[in-house]
Amino acid sequence: MDSIPTFNAEHLQSNMKTIYYSRTFLSIIGGVIAGIMGFTSLTGFIFYFLIMAITSVGLLAKAGFTVHSYFDSWNRVLLDGFLGGLMGLPLPSRFCLLLIILL
Amino acid sequence: MALGFAVGVFGVLILFHAAYSTIQYRGLLKIMEEEFSGPPMNVVAELLLGLVFCIWAALTVPGKFLSIQPYSEENRIVSLPANSDFMIFNHRGKVFPLEMDVKLKH
Repeated sequence: MDSIPTFNAEHLQSNMKTIYYSRTFLSIIGGVIAGIMGFTSLTGFIFYFLIMAITSVGLLAKAGFTVHSYFDSWNRVLLDGFLGGLMGLPLPSRFCLLLIILL
Repeated sequence: MALGFAVGVFGVLILFHAAYSTIQYRGLLKIMEEEFSGPPMNVVAELLLGLVFCIWAALTVPGKFLSIQPYSEENRIVSLPANSDFMIFNHRGKVFPLEMDVKLKH
């Protein structure tokens, strides 16, 4: 009899939350750094994508590169929260830039 | 967990220090009437260090990944609940093939 793959949903959700926290924190930190360095518009976006790529690699390493024992697909680890965190970057970035320019 | 948190706070403090240094550097540039093209090298190094600490903290603080495979070692149900009056064992699970390699875990 074929078995449909079933997952421990509670653990899956907890793992998703972990990823979300990591990405949100790092997008804010990335925003602060972009603001200090004076990155604006395009450079800032590129910097954000770089930070998110580093985060993805870090999360993969944390999962020991065996995605299937912790998540149901690669996309979840790599892309989830990518765009959600996009909102987290401009605010601290602008704030830091402003602070540095005014003071 | 506490170590990760401390490292994260330390990373953020390093970033604040770098921001303060940049502010002072800009003040200096204003006095010398030059353009601000970027923070000095030591501030960039400080930012990189702060970033490394924050990345490390962001990966360790939220907690470990839990296994989602139902048959993995840490997801085994090894004890029956105390109230087994309502547990039915005469169900359709008997048509599943026997797994002879499942070991009893003490």
